[in-house]
Amino acid sequence: MTAVLDGIKVADFSWFGAGPICAQNLARFGATVVRVESEAHIDGLRGVMPFAMQPCPECNGAGCAKCSNTGKVTKTGYNVSGYFNNYNAGKLDITINMSTERGHEMARKLVAWCDIFITNQTPRIIERWRFTYDELKKINPRIIAAYQPMQGFSGPHRDFFGFGAVLNAITGYNELSGFPHRPPMGLGTNYPDYVINPGHTLVAILAALRHRERTGEGQMIELAQIESVVATLAPAVMDYTSNGRVQSRKGNRLSYAAPHGAFRCRDIEVQGQPTPTLDRWVALGIFTDVQWRALVDAMGSPAWAQDARFATFDGRKQHEDELEARINEWTRDQTAEDVMRLLQSKGIPAGVVQNAKDVLEDEHLRARGYFEYLDHPETGRSAYDGAPFRLPKTPGKLNRAAPLLGQDNEYVCKEILGMTDEEIAEALVEQALY
Amino acid sequence: MATSALADIRVLDLAGEVGWYCTKLLADLGADVIRVEPPGGDPLRDIGPFWHDERARDRSLIYFHYNTSKRSITLDITKPDGKALFERLAATADVVVETFAPGHLDALGLGFDALSKLRPGIILTSITGFGQDGPHAQYAWSDIVGVAMSGMMWLAGDREDPPNRPYGNQGYVCAGIDGAAGTLMALYHRDRTGEGQHVDVSMQEALLINQETAMMTYDMTGRIATRTGARGIIPIDLPGIGIFKANDGHVFAYLGTPGGAPWTTMLDWMNREGKAEDLNEEPNITMVRNLNLAFLTGLVREPDKLGERIAVLSHMYEVFARFCASFSKWYLYEEAQKQRLMIGIVSTPEDLAKNPQLAARNWYQDVEHPNLGATVRYGGPPYRLTETPWALRRPPLPGEHNTDVYIDELGLPQSQIDDLTKSGVI
Repeated sequence: MTAVLDGIKVADFSWFGAGPICAQNLARFGATVVRVESEAHIDGLRGVMPFAMQPCPECNGAGCAKCSNTGKVTKTGYNVSGYFNNYNAGKLDITINMSTERGHEMARKLVAWCDIFITNQTPRIIERWRFTYDELKKINPRIIAAYQPMQGFSGPHRDFFGFGAVLNAITGYNELSGFPHRPPMGLGTNYPDYVINPGHTLVAILAALRHRERTGEGQMIELAQIESVVATLAPAVMDYTSNGRVQSRKGNRLSYAAPHGAFRCRDIEVQGQPTPTLDRWVALGIFTDVQWRALVDAMGSPAWAQDARFATFDGRKQHEDELEARINEWTRDQTAEDVMRLLQSKGIPAGVVQNAKDVLEDEHLRARGYFEYLDHPETGRSAYDGAPFRLPKTPGKLNRAAPLLGQDNEYVCKEILGMTDEEIAEALVEQALY
Repeated sequence: MATSALADIRVLDLAGEVGWYCTKLLADLGADVIRVEPPGGDPLRDIGPFWHDERARDRSLIYFHYNTSKRSITLDITKPDGKALFERLAATADVVVETFAPGHLDALGLGFDALSKLRPGIILTSITGFGQDGPHAQYAWSDIVGVAMSGMMWLAGDREDPPNRPYGNQGYVCAGIDGAAGTLMALYHRDRTGEGQHVDVSMQEALLINQETAMMTYDMTGRIATRTGARGIIPIDLPGIGIFKANDGHVFAYLGTPGGAPWTTMLDWMNREGKAEDLNEEPNITMVRNLNLAFLTGLVREPDKLGERIAVLSHMYEVFARFCASFSKWYLYEEAQKQRLMIGIVSTPEDLAKNPQLAARNWYQDVEHPNLGATVRYGGPPYRLTETPWALRRPPLPGEHNTDVYIDELGLPQSQIDDLTKSGVI
């Protein structure tokens, strides 16, 4: 079976999350992706946890002071980060030091070779690398060049910097998410890095690729991360510009559902955790009177739920505090799974607030084969996030684990850049291949 | 007139909330997206907030935002005459996007195989809570169920509170983005080979990668990451890291990150503003000079000095907090960034509306709404393409394009339209 993007070549000059994830999805569907890195400009994620584990060398896994009696210690080096690996599987990897002239020459050859160029480096670095769209177009007139600057290539904040968590704040996620009695703490992650920005970029690249296929014309894509994210929050801005209302965070409530939130269930014990007792929650939302009556039925039709105040949406909204407290009483001593299954059997949207263990053991995700398990020379077998969408006739698949730093230097130099053994040796000596 | 990447593509949009961002993305890139609404208008038009807070089916702001650049027809596809009309439309379509429970379209006789016979090479994109197969395929879902079951919600919020749902139906947004990308990928394949397919998007799967490192952490180390609240994973207050009050709101600071200016730059600024208090004196000044991520990670290696150092750090935290509290969030954000100090404004919707960067780049789009006698300000492009630009057209009124589609394009006589209207099909 031929992959969708068979024959499409991608030069991936990005790092961290937003760029690499986009390029990985191109690789997943068959493109040849060359990830460019350098020890002189290392992808920060290679140094961020989690790291693969190994038996403690002091005690051979028996447990000692050095390993806090776990028998395991982390591996070290550039190649054992699960964070980096999860976004770079399926790619070839070459180390090119862009601050050397020969390195720059090699990078220009990759630009000439590729169909799609992608980077989320800052405007300053792109200029230093002489990789503005005008420069790239001179090397490769048909190139599709996708850039993901934080704030765009123009405007008074062009050189403002940050990362996903700062973007959460700047774009409004912090102000709008969470409970009103807490500070605007955000989502606990660098959220826009994982779907919003790489996903939007993928949409734009595929549109550009279709245009090129039909007309032969390449183009530039500028995804200003701030714009890509605010595009997903625009209704709150429209509420301000149309109505003068400044929305703020309202916990888990939703204007057109009640009750709507996460309800406390019976705690669980999980061995091997710093705190073995974990809190447990079920999320649910009631959008219609039919769903409400089904919920009342599921709860065993208690007297309080027959109260006329709860019979209509407006009534439930008005008495939402009390409603939530009552439902919490009902869920508190049940397992989250039992509540989910019961509510689902009555057609009510409900789900366990799952943690990472739940997700990896989720029977549904297993049946669908979502996670891909790949063998890696340093981490061993580990889990990778799977395809974001299923194409049954042309399925996406990661054809190898994440590359080691510079794993494909020789292959890329010879087969793609057409370098001789002498040139490769010179590039090594000059620390251009570094 | 600029060209469009998708001008030749017709999309029939049967989608509910989980799918309307997908079709918006395709429509804003130039596809002819025809939204098929039930007669009387889509009940999703009842979701507020509304323009001028006037509750009516032609003024839901959230509906506006997610349905730009589309056309609208009304049609009841569950009635035989409605189904027949849909089949005629499907024969002209490249893509159908739907969000019904798996099997629903098959039961109507409008599943992928049936559509493929009407239009060889057609792409059916199905966006649902859990995908087309598997033990949970028939589970009921809404946004909060997706963010819960994906592990994303577990990571947000304070340990004392329930896990936090992210604002703005992010489950629907992420599934919509992946739906659009999947549709375009399938379209690329169809363009090359003529072969269509049934694209399957699960909201749960679309959201899983948002767990950041939690999945890999459990897989590699057996540790379950949990939500850690405002402080993050760091158990002590660190100066210049976290959420701080300004005199009119909040900022988010992360001083000392690689690529940014060091704490000494922060101290210079505090000195210029006359608000450094005693940070120029020992032991504070030594801490200011040493404060970077390497130093912080090394704190635990010298446990005998830990107490003393934490006292200094806590004091610096307080001085930094007082500094922030005496300025506006916009001043802190813009002044800090000019000095490469990583401080971000915690924007309210009002701040976003007034953001000078978005203004300078003409990001917001004003769109005429003749029926309102007004222009409405919309969010702008998530991406800018030089040759096939994103472009916004006004969202449709319910059934606004019935005449265009049924009479002008399909060639139905007016009398038939009248009959179908009377029988509640249109």
